[in-house]
Amino acid sequence: MNHQLPETPNTNPQQPALRMRITFSTEKTLAFVSVLDLSSIWERSLRRAGIPLRYSQGFNPRPKMNFAAPLPVGCSAQEDLLDIWLESPYPPEEMRAALNGTTPPHLHVEHIAESAIDEPTLAEQLTSAEYTVWLNRIPKAACADRMKDLLTAETLPRPRRGRKYRGKTYDLRPLILDLSIVPESQDNGLAVWMHLKARPGATGRPDEVLEAMGIMDNLLRCSRTRLLLGDAESPRLTHQ
Amino acid sequence: MMATPVSWHRIESLLHRVQKPGRYVGGEFNAVTGNWSQAEVHICLAFPDLYDLGMSNYALQILYAILNNRRGILAHRTYLPAPDMITLMRDARLPLYTMEDYHRVADYDILAISTAYEQLYTNILELLDLAGLPLRSVDRDMSYPLIIGGGHGTFNPEPVADFFDAFVIGEGEEVIVEICEAVQRSSGAPRLEQLQILQQIPGVYVPRLFDPDFQSPKTKKAGRAELPPIHKRVLSRLPDPPIAQIVPNIDTVHNRAVIEIQRGCTRGCRFCQAGTITRPIRERPVEEIVQAASAIIQNTGYEELALLSLSSADYTHIKKLLEKLLQEFEGKNVSIAVPSLRIESFSVDLADMLSHGRRSGFTFAPEAGSETMRYRINKNISDDELLAVAEEVFQRGWRTIKLYFMIGLPGETDTDVQAIIELAHQVRKLGLHIGGRKTEVHVSVSTFVPKPHTPFQWEPLADQEIIEHRQGLLQKGLRGRGLRLSWNPYPSTYLEALLARGDRSLSDLVESAWRQGARFDAWDEWCNMKAWEVAIRQFAEINYSTLDAMNKHYLYRNRTVDEALPWDHLLSGIDKRFLVNEYVNSQHLALRTDCREECHACGILRHYRDLQTETWGCPLVQ
Repeated sequence: MNHQLPETPNTNPQQPALRMRITFSTEKTLAFVSVLDLSSIWERSLRRAGIPLRYSQGFNPRPKMNFAAPLPVGCSAQEDLLDIWLESPYPPEEMRAALNGTTPPHLHVEHIAESAIDEPTLAEQLTSAEYTVWLNRIPKAACADRMKDLLTAETLPRPRRGRKYRGKTYDLRPLILDLSIVPESQDNGLAVWMHLKARPGATGRPDEVLEAMGIMDNLLRCSRTRLLLGDAESPRLTHQ
Repeated sequence: MMATPVSWHRIESLLHRVQKPGRYVGGEFNAVTGNWSQAEVHICLAFPDLYDLGMSNYALQILYAILNNRRGILAHRTYLPAPDMITLMRDARLPLYTMEDYHRVADYDILAISTAYEQLYTNILELLDLAGLPLRSVDRDMSYPLIIGGGHGTFNPEPVADFFDAFVIGEGEEVIVEICEAVQRSSGAPRLEQLQILQQIPGVYVPRLFDPDFQSPKTKKAGRAELPPIHKRVLSRLPDPPIAQIVPNIDTVHNRAVIEIQRGCTRGCRFCQAGTITRPIRERPVEEIVQAASAIIQNTGYEELALLSLSSADYTHIKKLLEKLLQEFEGKNVSIAVPSLRIESFSVDLADMLSHGRRSGFTFAPEAGSETMRYRINKNISDDELLAVAEEVFQRGWRTIKLYFMIGLPGETDTDVQAIIELAHQVRKLGLHIGGRKTEVHVSVSTFVPKPHTPFQWEPLADQEIIEHRQGLLQKGLRGRGLRLSWNPYPSTYLEALLARGDRSLSDLVESAWRQGARFDAWDEWCNMKAWEVAIRQFAEINYSTLDAMNKHYLYRNRTVDEALPWDHLLSGIDKRFLVNEYVNSQHLALRTDCREECHACGILRHYRDLQTETWGCPLVQ
């Protein structure tokens, strides 16, 4: 059964765009949903707004939507990206207006733009992601020591997730591009900045980094602050 | 009332350490946060099991909409967290809070808890305790929320009567507003005075003002105090359907839009409690359903709409309704689900209309394997009819048929159970012949529990030895390719029966079981049958000297029809005389027709004639 529509490259530049890129953020309650849940939240928000989503054929029609990368449960997002495909054109500014009031309280639309229909998927373009993680009940110095241990290690073998991989390990170290403590943060609300690889089959997870540091129980809040696509500039070192 | 909510930081710090944390955060589309300080009555609607289940409860959606549409009333929701979250909350001394703004449950004026079924009873105690509330009504003064129960379980609420201040008997849509108004009027009054005011509202039962005589099991008359019996509440027409339904952010059991098309049932199956306590039959007009359905889909964005009723195919204009709905949602990617279909080719037509070529499973409930047994329970369907329908289902391309049966029915023998096996094999053979080797028959067998307010309320529960023997027969007989069998373990049936049929004294048992660790009785992975076993043994030894004596008293004896039953003071509108007639009819294997065709004078019309409207399915009576 063919559940996916064939990709039709947009050969005519005059033709109105049928692929849109939504930049959005999530906070608070929506940090605690799974990636499947977020997909359903988006589908229903777009349906409530009356956006003409393009559905797959078959017994179980699904809208064609792509996220750049799944967000770990417990993590909110800033500047997150979603591509949606439309049945008929819908101007970005009108779409933004239509979505006003149709999303749940902690889902915010930042920006909507047309996207080339033949552009590779977001997942294919993604190279890395930045995270900020807030910790409680840990002194800055202790955190810095553990971080240094991690960054100086040659390898960081970690157990793979999932029953299928029981007993198997992977190396976390090459997935960590950089770590630092946000300078102005305090012991009682320490913020750590992470820059992790995000390629297919090689995605670093912030909770794995915390596990490797042995401070998972100190996790208070996690946010993915930026997605870096292939042609993006090198990561900025400013912290929010 | 001033109230400081639980801080988000305290909640958030626990969420990284639990499974499915989205259950504990709210933030759903269409949830009503409202303005706490501007509301005069704050009511918390609670479902005492996981969010995943509670969010799928339609009754709570109805009440939430009705209450929040009233000026001065603010209704919020809470659910029972899973054991992992409960442990963290207790360690962190975090009290139970609501999904809207995280107000403490203890800060509400009213806590309305769903008592939908018996396996929720220990969860109710867990919920009260997690909210920091004393368990028993007598231990709560006016500083605590008023605790009210509602749902099908209140037709015999005695086993949990000590924990509640009041129960709503029957339909809650009107009475819950009257309760809120009474609470507002009586705010500041001592609790007992408030309870006396509530007792005046029709359909409200205040157990503390009713003193049952349960001490001597042999007395035929229950002590009535000076309280008149409570008549259930009935709506003259179905309430407005909730339109802006709360859309969960995480996946739930029934994650879809719902519209109730009909309430009540006219089939008269003798084992069925829902069929008696939800009478009379009332239908929602087609136009109203179509209009509301469209608004619901618009307001929720759901991709599926379920039509709710006890027997969809009995809705007078079901075909017209489905045609109109299909037309309404043409090209909008909305699928329509019609649960509760009857065994007849008309149902196959209906399912065919809706399936868009998708042919997953088709479910039928013959309930009993032999025709004799089906006569006994008043399920008028012959083997030939059933097989003809099964044949049609396979011919139209479905690959799986699910069959629901009960064992342990009154008068059942091994031969009747053998008939289940034969029927399943015949259906399987049809499937193999028509649809080939990939067809399957799933047989689901539960054990009959004699429920209050049914014609079988005087019947005993079948004992463990017999049931396990018959389950053994089924396991042996339903092996092999294309056949799948599921059944309920006896201990859970026993517990359900005890709590369904029990009297006021069982409140002590429920509390004792909970104190020894029982909760989530409906969950295989969390239930604690050991705790129940110990508690039941202790309770039986104290009150009945032996376990056998207690079991015999509550479960394993035929009751005479003049014996006082623990639920006799709560009236379903169906006369006892009618139930006795049906009980006798079952013993003579006499069928009763559907009461849409002719009135059998069950009592509903006599008691509620003033409320009758053109939406009632009752025939005209001379």
